[in-house]
Amino acid sequence: MERRVFLTCIVILLLAIGMLPVLSMLIKSVIVDGHFSLASYGGLLTSAHQWTLMRHSMVLSSLVTALTVAVGMLLGILLGKTDLPFRRFFTVLFVIPLLIPPYIIAVSWFDLLGREGLLVHLLGVSATRETARFLFGLPGCVTVLFSIFLPIPMLLTMIFLRTINPGLEEAGRLVSGWRGVMKGITIPLILPGVLLSAMLVFLLSFGEFSVPNFLRYDVFPVESFTQFSAFYNFKAATAAAVPLAAVTLILLFAEAAFLRERTYQLRPSPGIKRLPLIGLGAHRKWLFVPVAITGLVIVIVPIVVLVIQSAGIDAYAEALNRAGASLLRSLIYAVIGATLLTFLGFFTGYLIHTKALRCWRSVDSLTIFLFALPSTVIGIGLISLWNTTWTNFIYSTPMIIILGYLAKYTALTSRISVTQLAQIPSSMEEAAQVAGAGWFRRMGFILVPLARRGLLAGWLVGYIFLLRDTGITMLVYPAGHETMPVRILTLMANGSPQLIAALCMVMITATLLPAGILWMTPGIMTKKAIK
Amino acid sequence: MKMVDIDSVSKLYNGGKALDNISLEIYEGERIVILGPSGCGKTTILRLIAGFIAADTGSISIAGEMVSRNGRIIKPPEQRNLGMVFQDLALWPHLSVKGNIEFGLKARGLPKIERERRVRETLHLAGMAGYADRKPAELSGGQQQRVALARALVLEPRVLLMDEPLSSLDLELNVRLRKEILRLQEKLGFTLLYVTHDRDEAFGMATRVVIMSKGRVEYEGTVDDAQKYFNR
Repeated sequence: MERRVFLTCIVILLLAIGMLPVLSMLIKSVIVDGHFSLASYGGLLTSAHQWTLMRHSMVLSSLVTALTVAVGMLLGILLGKTDLPFRRFFTVLFVIPLLIPPYIIAVSWFDLLGREGLLVHLLGVSATRETARFLFGLPGCVTVLFSIFLPIPMLLTMIFLRTINPGLEEAGRLVSGWRGVMKGITIPLILPGVLLSAMLVFLLSFGEFSVPNFLRYDVFPVESFTQFSAFYNFKAATAAAVPLAAVTLILLFAEAAFLRERTYQLRPSPGIKRLPLIGLGAHRKWLFVPVAITGLVIVIVPIVVLVIQSAGIDAYAEALNRAGASLLRSLIYAVIGATLLTFLGFFTGYLIHTKALRCWRSVDSLTIFLFALPSTVIGIGLISLWNTTWTNFIYSTPMIIILGYLAKYTALTSRISVTQLAQIPSSMEEAAQVAGAGWFRRMGFILVPLARRGLLAGWLVGYIFLLRDTGITMLVYPAGHETMPVRILTLMANGSPQLIAALCMVMITATLLPAGILWMTPGIMTKKAIK
Repeated sequence: MKMVDIDSVSKLYNGGKALDNISLEIYEGERIVILGPSGCGKTTILRLIAGFIAADTGSISIAGEMVSRNGRIIKPPEQRNLGMVFQDLALWPHLSVKGNIEFGLKARGLPKIERERRVRETLHLAGMAGYADRKPAELSGGQQQRVALARALVLEPRVLLMDEPLSSLDLELNVRLRKEILRLQEKLGFTLLYVTHDRDEAFGMATRVVIMSKGRVEYEGTVDDAQKYFNR
């Protein structure tokens, strides 16, 4: 009984935090002067500008998805399935761009390829004019988003490869070489995971605001943000946000219909210990070179450019002087948000894993929908719901930022919790139940301690994603509560390139340092799974 | 003819000896059963013969040809012409029964007509005619065992390796399938290397029994002698 009541409260909380803002936004957009009206949406189908935005958004997302999935899957196989040298190092290296705010990568490429970028010293003005032309617009957006989202298909490929029972591949190896086994067995088995990653990359590219905004490529999130922040035209902003929500919904329905069950079947199994690796033999060095070059170009070069650009204590001193308070706020909000996310995600994950309530599947779909929903939609929804006299204590305080974080990112911690809980035999909780422990006691003394690694990983992932968030915070932050990524974005208008580069480096350090410390602390992230 | 020759093979796992200087000769047409408790190294022997792992020391030959030696795999699994039935069967869930059986034939580049014929014959042999288009998940446990067996036999292997394939079945089905395996072995004449921890299963299947404990061969001999070994 206590379990049902508590989990029902969690579901209500999720609905209030995530679904109410979106519904409020939609309802307000169809009510004009107290009457139902679709006037805000009138221009959606008839305006050539809207169709251009749609075309841009679709082309950008499709190109990023195709490129990212093709390269990411290949990298995932090379790093997760072969004996390629330094594959652990490469895995960490390729993940870095996903962990830092997306526009920082764009800034870095601008510092390199822009008209006055570092390349001008090497190639001259005429060459950088061409590189700048490449950077600003579709090709630049595709390149930057490719480097940011590449880890998604790469990691999902690696994760799904680990879920395959080694016996399935060994049975194939008796009659076929690795090439035949990969083609006939391994790749078909991980295909649901690859398709899932394609859908995620598409949705994240479709909703990405900061990179197209910086590289001046008109897409729906930029339009929605501009309508809201520049003109404070709520209805136009909502109208521009609706196609984003519609595409998200359509793709999630497709995922639920065709992929959900298949990806569930491939959840990591605690029994799988040995992973057969493909020996590359003489091909090791030839495959190492392109992987190393890719890592160098899309990860190391952008960071080195920022380091060079920000060289000198003055730039860092000025950065801390002008954005120190924002950095502190960012860290505080990220820590509070990640802690709440871990709590909410754990119990949501528990609900999904145990199917304790009949609505478990809807809850799962809701969290994924909110994660896939562009930040601008959630941001506008939050403002639409909480910007009232009665709820000013939320709207005008950092609480609205935290609510935005919880709405958007609960899927991350709940999915991590589901995976972690799947590793814990159900008999653990049952044994405590037989011994007479109530649900809260079982949670507190059995499941939470057993799932601590998952909780810590969830907290860390939450912290990183909250620290890098720009889309929601940019829209909802109350005056005097801007976070570091928002501060960097606003300073870009008049700050020197050295200052911006230094701010970006501070941001990268703040994001990666805790992750690095936790990752390298023995026994925290490296303990073996429960058997 | 000596079909499998395991010569002074040792294998370390996590610092401990999974196999400690094992030697074993298996002759053509024999039914050898390796009997022993969990963790005694019997599955490791099968995986070494199959070529999934290499022994740290010693050598393995199949049909007179050296396939691995001192930590080096000379012939990869697909070139050893072996069949294997895994403990969890390892049926490919995304392929139909026919797809599972046909996979190896396709890998060997057999023409379609030949593949169809052999799949049909093997399904018939395994008593699974009529189930070609089913997915493994749509079959009962016993039917899945038959498909796993058919998949292993369709390539007419020199040696069939079986890793506790019946351990998850109830006694009645276990006994029935044992008889099926014996019938097929008699009919097709392949060499059988069967691993189990069940004495009844071992004595019912074997022409020769190898008893293992802690990575070493404790006893090797006929079924009668093996029974005496346990009753002493």
